[in-house]
Amino acid sequence: MTSAPTGLGPVIAAASEPDVARPTRVPGGAGRRSAWYRRLTPYLFLLVPVGLLLLLTYTPVVTMFWYSVTDWDGLDKTKNVIGLDNYVDVFTDPDNLRVFFVSLYYVVGSFVQMALALYFATILSFKVRFRNLWKGILFFPYLINGVAIGLIFLNFLKPGGGLDTVLMNTGLESLIHQWTGDPDIANYSLAAVSVWRYTGLTFVMFLGAIQSISSDIYEAAALDGANRWHEFWSIILPSIRPIVGLAFILGISGSLSVFEIPFVMTNGANGTETFVIRTVWMAFQRNTVGLASAMAVVLLAFVLLVTWLQRRLVPEEEVDLT
Amino acid sequence: MKAVAGTAKYLTLVVASIVTLLPLGLILFGSFKTNQEFLSTNPFQPPADWFNVDNYVLAFTRGGMALAFVNTALIFVAAIAGTILIGAATAYALDRFRFRGRSVVLALFLLATLVPGVTTQVATFQIINGLGLYGSRWALILLFMGTDIVSIYIFVQFMRSIPRSLDEAAMIEGAGHLRIFFQIILPNLKPAIATVVIIKGIGIYNEFFLPYLYLNDPDKLPISTALFAFKGPYGSQWEAICACVVITIVPILVLFLFLQRYIYNGFTQGATK
Amino acid sequence: MFPHHRRPRSLALAAAGTVLALTAACSSGGGSDDSSANADGTPSGKISVLTWRTDLVEDGTFDTYVAEFKKKYPEVTDVKVEGVKDYEGTVKTRMNTDDYGDVLAIPGSVTPDQLPDFFEPLGDQAEMEKEYRWLNDKSFEGKSYGIPVVGNVQGILYNKRVWEEAGITEFPTTPQEFLDDLQTIKDKGVAKVAPLYTNYKDSWALSQWDGWRGAVTADPDALNKMTQTDTPWTADSDYGVIDGTIYDAVARKLTEADPTTTDWEGSKRMIGVGEIATMALGSWAIPQMMAAGEAAGADPADIAYMPVPVQVDGKFHTVAGGDYNLGINVHSKNKATARAWIDWFNHDSGYSESQVGLSPLVDGPVPAALEDFMSSVELLTMNAAPAGKESLFADIDTASGIVTTDPKYRLQIIDDARSGSRTKEQIFDDLNGKWAEGRADVDS
Repeated sequence: MTSAPTGLGPVIAAASEPDVARPTRVPGGAGRRSAWYRRLTPYLFLLVPVGLLLLLTYTPVVTMFWYSVTDWDGLDKTKNVIGLDNYVDVFTDPDNLRVFFVSLYYVVGSFVQMALALYFATILSFKVRFRNLWKGILFFPYLINGVAIGLIFLNFLKPGGGLDTVLMNTGLESLIHQWTGDPDIANYSLAAVSVWRYTGLTFVMFLGAIQSISSDIYEAAALDGANRWHEFWSIILPSIRPIVGLAFILGISGSLSVFEIPFVMTNGANGTETFVIRTVWMAFQRNTVGLASAMAVVLLAFVLLVTWLQRRLVPEEEVDLT
Repeated sequence: MKAVAGTAKYLTLVVASIVTLLPLGLILFGSFKTNQEFLSTNPFQPPADWFNVDNYVLAFTRGGMALAFVNTALIFVAAIAGTILIGAATAYALDRFRFRGRSVVLALFLLATLVPGVTTQVATFQIINGLGLYGSRWALILLFMGTDIVSIYIFVQFMRSIPRSLDEAAMIEGAGHLRIFFQIILPNLKPAIATVVIIKGIGIYNEFFLPYLYLNDPDKLPISTALFAFKGPYGSQWEAICACVVITIVPILVLFLFLQRYIYNGFTQGATK
Repeated sequence: MFPHHRRPRSLALAAAGTVLALTAACSSGGGSDDSSANADGTPSGKISVLTWRTDLVEDGTFDTYVAEFKKKYPEVTDVKVEGVKDYEGTVKTRMNTDDYGDVLAIPGSVTPDQLPDFFEPLGDQAEMEKEYRWLNDKSFEGKSYGIPVVGNVQGILYNKRVWEEAGITEFPTTPQEFLDDLQTIKDKGVAKVAPLYTNYKDSWALSQWDGWRGAVTADPDALNKMTQTDTPWTADSDYGVIDGTIYDAVARKLTEADPTTTDWEGSKRMIGVGEIATMALGSWAIPQMMAAGEAAGADPADIAYMPVPVQVDGKFHTVAGGDYNLGINVHSKNKATARAWIDWFNHDSGYSESQVGLSPLVDGPVPAALEDFMSSVELLTMNAAPAGKESLFADIDTASGIVTTDPKYRLQIIDDARSGSRTKEQIFDDLNGKWAEGRADVDS
């Protein structure tokens, strides 16, 4: 290593100044020495956390902007500034644009996921037999690792696999497709697997929020003669709006960072390449770190925009799940 | 009408459960089949011999699953300890002290939540490589503990509920800040720690991208990458892959059955705070 | 109270210390740390070897190699063999760091001018050619950076029994005839899975078709001439025939129905038992297919090899060349032992014989399994690029954005052929346009 990345400095300083942190043994902690020591205390506690924050979150953001205007290949000592050429590439090469398009399948998937989660959270928040069993089953897929899920569904969706067998035995042969092989269907299949994986988490978040609604409100509504449907629209949905908003943001950023399922199942081939698969390939196999960084900057800008829009423009009634 | 709605409710639950469990069940079936059996039988046909553990033996002997568990555990322990210390220290400093630059630090953490880690991976890779950590477990540990803003938030939120009178009493007894931190604050943060251990533990156990990018030594691979690597040479032996998948799921299933309530609470709290 | 109070602080210090230790680690890096050869250059210590043959790591073949190597060089304490899945991509990623083993097969996508940055020169090419063949590929400015582990001939691997059952006994002499033969196989239904298997999912297998380059036009300078034209994709150019044959075969549905679920390990068995009739692979694949077929109860003699279906002056041609080349990481701490491994691997391991390859040694024997094939074809060895233009092809290739060493563009061709979204002509026009742009970029 030739130059210390920014942010490492303070961390090293923390290690080399152990004496400062030694507490005084003076009872009561009074005295001149402890006065400046007291002032320093919060900084000492924050040295490592802020150091790591700067090193691992902010430095990459800054360097990423810098790489994105160079033609760096990730290896050379020198980087030539080439202006906005990389950005032009991002927006003119259809292969680059396609990854953003592919994430739309997952965005749609995340809406489906939220709708399902909301439905099951609502019915399970009322009296249901075996509630814990249903809850456990619905949630469990979220605990399985992505590679395993990819393999489980490769096995399930392959020609002649579980799904095809089900369709065959229920007289639905006509619905059999190449679930990952047909380019018109592959992205739907992968997005569906993603829904299978994440619905449980959204569901548990919604359920927790619904259950924390005070029972007084229901009782008041019951007096007014509200039925379940009214309860849902006038009590449940408004009460959990913040969580729905959060699930929305998580859904968008999750859709843009899909990696494991398409990577394991199709390796990004057949038009299923996602942002992460493509940038990793660009950066490390094509050695176009500059271009990959420009992609990342565009993505970051996009995520920030969506977050901002969500917080600004979709505040109240607009949280519509259909 | 009410009966119809009630039936529909249970019907949807049953359908959802089948959709959830079916792919898992077929993997379990497959894992007990022989190669010939796997290729020739219908996926719904139960294995001829439920005690055929050859595939599991293969997964452990050639797939190195035991070592993968050890590696995951090593990374987990180090990263979780680091996360707790970092989160608690940040929360302590931000909640109990008023100092110059506090609002800047707060803003920095707040802003960081908006940056999805995945966008910066290309640049992060250069930093980890610059530190000479490529191929080392430390790369993962550092990334797990250094980029987890959510955990820090959980600690910051929870810190507010610890009464200040506790630290003040200790201070009067002559305790320094480190002592207060370790003897008052950390023990009182236990519920937050439990939440973080659960969320992060599951996250680390399931993480694939980071070890895939940063680790290469087959002896250092954690669970998910070991499973992925196993698929290479055994790509055509699906019954063995099934066994390997089951092996990775069983521990998390057992944990889930025993800690259900804590896990749900962890995720609801982690999400809302 | 007191001990309690000290312990946590030491923890905090340990955390800070960890970061320090981490920074200290920057100065090291590279291959193996605590290992260097003796001062006199006798191999000792430990090295790590990256291999693409995960199957041979799994079945213990490499354990035997290591044991024998250590027997010859007792001072060598450890040879750590890492089988790498998705070798090309993974190793290319690792080459963004210093840590890519001591000995490794040079990935095909490393361009000649990059060789000196990543690999240790093994010697002067002219000198080494007295002993080894096929050094051109991995040489730059007179130095050689890699030695092929085995020599291959390039053509088409097929299941002879299946082709004969379909009534075909003659080698096809044109791509058209080849496709028609595949059609016959399909019509007769003798190959259950596919007449031609692409191994699309393991995309590297598509790069194997590159073995046809040169054989199509019977021109050892085919690649060098490509740098002089703006239209390398035509009906009878090397790339045109390769990519055109792939396109046509897929478009006529002569390949597997669902390419996204192909399975390399499984394909070995399938061609072995005749469920697949044909695959375009180098001769290195022959023993693997035979073994897989035999394990599944088929006759290994069913596996045979046919030339590229093009005749020039009434003769078939095949290109002989190196398989993967072993090179030494330029950052290796134990180059002497790494070199000893390469030499031992080529001379003493028996690898090339076991792989039914041509020996990389100049005076090595021709394996029996290939003798028939060899007698029906003219052998070609591709010419090196003219001095000073070693990296021209790669430069144009990279600048064009096609990057022929990366199978990605070929995956796209298969996608297009399946969906019909682009015709062969449109694809060729697009590729030619990019190539011309690449040439213009490099010239300027």
